[in-house]
Amino acid sequence: MLFATRRSDPPAMTLEGVLGPNTRLDDAAGIAVDAPNAVCVIEGLGLLFSSGSAVLAIEAWDARPTPWAVFDDTVTAIGGGPDGLVAVGLAGGGLAVCDRNGAAAGWTAPAAGPAAIADLAFLPDGAVAAVDSGYGPGDDMFARAPWDDRARGSVTSVRRDGATRQLASGLHCPTGIALDGSGAPLVTLFERAAVAELSGQLRQSGYPAYPGRIRRTDTGYLIACLARRDPLIEFLKTERDFVAEMKQSIEPRYWISPRMHPEFSHDFPIEAGATRLFGEIKPWAPSFSYGLVIETDERLVPTASAHSRANGLRHAISDAVCWNGDIIAVSRASGEVLRIGAGGTVQ
Amino acid sequence: MPGSFTFSSLPKQPVPLVVVSPRRILADLLSKGWVENAIPFIAFVLVAGGIMLTTRDYFGATNLLNLAQYATDGGLLVLALLIVVAVGGIDLSVGSNFAMSAFVALYCFHILGLPTPVILAASLAAGGLTGAVNGVLAGLIGCGALLATLGTMITVRGLYTLASQARLVEISTSARVDDLWDWIGFERWLGLPVGFWALLIVAACVFVMFRQSRFGWHILAVGGNRKAARHGGIQVKLTIFLAYLLGGLVVGLAGFLYAARQNSVGSDTGVGMEFFALTALVVGLGGFVPGRGAVLSVLVGFATVYLFNNAMINAGYRGDFVQLSMGAILIVILAADVKFRKNRHRLLASTYLDPVRVDIDGVKGMDGLMPHEIRPKLREAEILAPGKLDGPEDVILDADGNLYCGNRDGRLLRLRPPDYSRVEVVAKIGGRPLGLAFDPEGRIVTCVAGMGLLRVTMDGAVELLTDQTGRSLLSVQDDTTIRMADDLDIAPDGTIYFTDATKRYDIENWGLDLLEGRPNGRLLSYDPRTRKTRTVCDNLVFPNGVCVTHDGKFLLVASTWSCSILIFDLANAAAGPRVFLSGLPGYPDNINRASDGGYWVALAGMRNPIIDQSMKYPALRRRMTRRVPPTNWLFGNLNIGGVLKLDGDGRIADALWDAPGGPLYMITSMREHEGSLFMGGVTNNKIGRLRLENADNGWTGPKSYWGEG
Repeated sequence: MLFATRRSDPPAMTLEGVLGPNTRLDDAAGIAVDAPNAVCVIEGLGLLFSSGSAVLAIEAWDARPTPWAVFDDTVTAIGGGPDGLVAVGLAGGGLAVCDRNGAAAGWTAPAAGPAAIADLAFLPDGAVAAVDSGYGPGDDMFARAPWDDRARGSVTSVRRDGATRQLASGLHCPTGIALDGSGAPLVTLFERAAVAELSGQLRQSGYPAYPGRIRRTDTGYLIACLARRDPLIEFLKTERDFVAEMKQSIEPRYWISPRMHPEFSHDFPIEAGATRLFGEIKPWAPSFSYGLVIETDERLVPTASAHSRANGLRHAISDAVCWNGDIIAVSRASGEVLRIGAGGTVQ
Repeated sequence: MPGSFTFSSLPKQPVPLVVVSPRRILADLLSKGWVENAIPFIAFVLVAGGIMLTTRDYFGATNLLNLAQYATDGGLLVLALLIVVAVGGIDLSVGSNFAMSAFVALYCFHILGLPTPVILAASLAAGGLTGAVNGVLAGLIGCGALLATLGTMITVRGLYTLASQARLVEISTSARVDDLWDWIGFERWLGLPVGFWALLIVAACVFVMFRQSRFGWHILAVGGNRKAARHGGIQVKLTIFLAYLLGGLVVGLAGFLYAARQNSVGSDTGVGMEFFALTALVVGLGGFVPGRGAVLSVLVGFATVYLFNNAMINAGYRGDFVQLSMGAILIVILAADVKFRKNRHRLLASTYLDPVRVDIDGVKGMDGLMPHEIRPKLREAEILAPGKLDGPEDVILDADGNLYCGNRDGRLLRLRPPDYSRVEVVAKIGGRPLGLAFDPEGRIVTCVAGMGLLRVTMDGAVELLTDQTGRSLLSVQDDTTIRMADDLDIAPDGTIYFTDATKRYDIENWGLDLLEGRPNGRLLSYDPRTRKTRTVCDNLVFPNGVCVTHDGKFLLVASTWSCSILIFDLANAAAGPRVFLSGLPGYPDNINRASDGGYWVALAGMRNPIIDQSMKYPALRRRMTRRVPPTNWLFGNLNIGGVLKLDGDGRIADALWDAPGGPLYMITSMREHEGSLFMGGVTNNKIGRLRLENADNGWTGPKSYWGEG
């Protein structure tokens, strides 16, 4: 393999073409929600979304949100299943499966569940697949994941009787799960900016952003993105000494990494192009936080996108679903559930 | 609280006498103009070295004189070809023309018996005639240089063969002897063969022609871009004609010298000369390059080919083997040269940035004053003239309260009290005014990026005070020009102290200076009485704001990237700076006097742990600039800045910050005036005014500097 080092991965996608910048996320109508994270559509019930440790429901977009259920830990994932079953993942790794009305559906708590649940999906066999990103509620996943070599994410299936089975392990920071057309689970890998099968085989890579959850739609998938990929971060991954010293001597909050909030602070690093002009943030400025929802086709190739750019506030999109023909997305940075409008698939 | 510090007890700031860095020397060499000729020159040195190693006594005096004697005609032919190639043509007929001119000289000498000066004229006429024919065909009629000169080459060769066959016996049997003729052919003058002197004189003339004369410039213009030359009003066809004519005359001279030396011609005289000359030209120029009159390079190329050829033949190699190896070596030289020329700028770009490890003191003296610890006082500031300004780097107020500031478009603006809402133009400077100061006569002295130190009167007259200083010690690159005059202040004796923030980057790229972290700036002084500019202290790290202390005895200089403030004793500035204050929480920009005997320091941006750490990794910063797009380079946080208040001893007494997303985010300058603080920012479009508590409401800057009068 004399020339093995010359092989390189195909270049990452850039924010051009169907991924070209727009202001769809910033223009979208929004419902202010305290600490939202996950959203889910339940047939005959409407839209469920999490707010801290509670789950709220709306029947229609204009309706007032009503409390659906309250849990004793922060809700980190919601997944809808057959017969109106709703699985709710909690920050501490707890899993609650409820019926349509928010009452417990009689599932036995798993004996040895995952440490933290990043996303949930009902498998064809009726079990719930829970994604463990490998980062607990106290770990700052955004700051740590880029500098972590260890792939400690896993996917565990939990049956009604509480029996668990590890479906996959050794995944690098998985953050979302969805079933493909044949019913096989796909997971998004946050730091790898890719969608992989449970075997670890990449299905599609090179996304221009770090993905959160992935949801299946009629025409393909929706990928909610937590932050934009950044050339500086990608470059620093090759600078081992620097990163080692950073991890050793600097608090994670000051690390160079994707961020959830587009906030200003005097002690955060910035990139040269992010300097404000006349006090304004340039929309095209590089930023460590970003809002992006990617619509893809069946082969996970992007077909449309919705953005909140560097000067926007609706960053860190953690979840996106299709509901009544609209795309509904959750911005963790601005604390809103957004209605983006009809899918922008361009043929 | 006037200062009570003792200068001599402050820690000394070490300043390097010279900045030594191999990468910088390489970059500086690569940006020199003459480096274009590096490869032909190196090739020449290698060939000469190779010959020296393999042939004993090759470079002895006798052989050198011999070489010089025979180099004349080849050298002249190369120069003739250079003139023609420079105008965008080519001359294949030089060999035939050379032979013909030599024949004409011999004919005139032996058969017509003419005196030598007339023979010279006849030879020149013969050469010039062929050149003129070429010029008419290729230049005036536009037949195409290759075709036209191929035609003349064959025709003249035919004529020459006919004529020489008819007259050769007569010439060779002639017994005419002439002193001048022999002197030209065989004698030496001042130790060198006469013919070689002719070559040197012609080379000097061609050199001066291309460098200094209008005609030479026209030739280069026509060769560089014929269409542009025509649009520029140059008579293209005439220029081409004259270039061929001149080339022909030089060939005529070569023929004459050859005839005087050899006293005979043969059927093979001049055969293949055109290719020999072309080869030398191509080696010297690094290709077939029109529009370039590089006489020296071409002569170096000629010397390379000539010596190589000569040494090989001397060594007894067969002619065809000589040709073979010559061709191979020429291809190697040319390939190296073409590669080098093509990649020189890339090499320069990748070596120019030359980062170094910088250890900056940790933040000191800011307990309880950091932005997250105190209320953002600038939130109460009034915003003046929003959207009407573009980058007021410095602001200054006169005794009447008029505010002056520079603008990015190169104008100096005035805003009148009390509301400061209308913008008037004081002067159009042309460059971007940065630092401002009033002199005792009430004129504004300003540092203008890329221009130097200028003085503006209130009626808008602009006068350049200085744009040059002495050259740095041991600098490869000429750094006499002031590249980024940044801020200034005027001492009580009228001397203007100002900073040249970086000698290596322009105002568009000043950020690269942070990534480099080297001491690239200098403190300069200008004495208006003697009109002399002096380098007070070279090799400072981005010297930025300048302020003369209240007592007029010391000078404060902000060192932006090292987050410190230096102090000079004006009575003995040569002793170097001491550290007035270090470990600032951000990057200090301008420093100005406060009414209570202290100082205001503008912070253009804030440090953060990551950029501080990266300053310890120079190789990382260099790799980053090569592999990461410039917009994504790690940088100091210029999105948040503020103003620090120092007491007279250099202790931080207060800090003024805006809210994190506030409009006064980056502050590069501030001036106190009658109880208010006015603040400007180099990337802002507004000026902030903050009412100060406990300030002297009668205090103004001009009064503090020049008294009531």
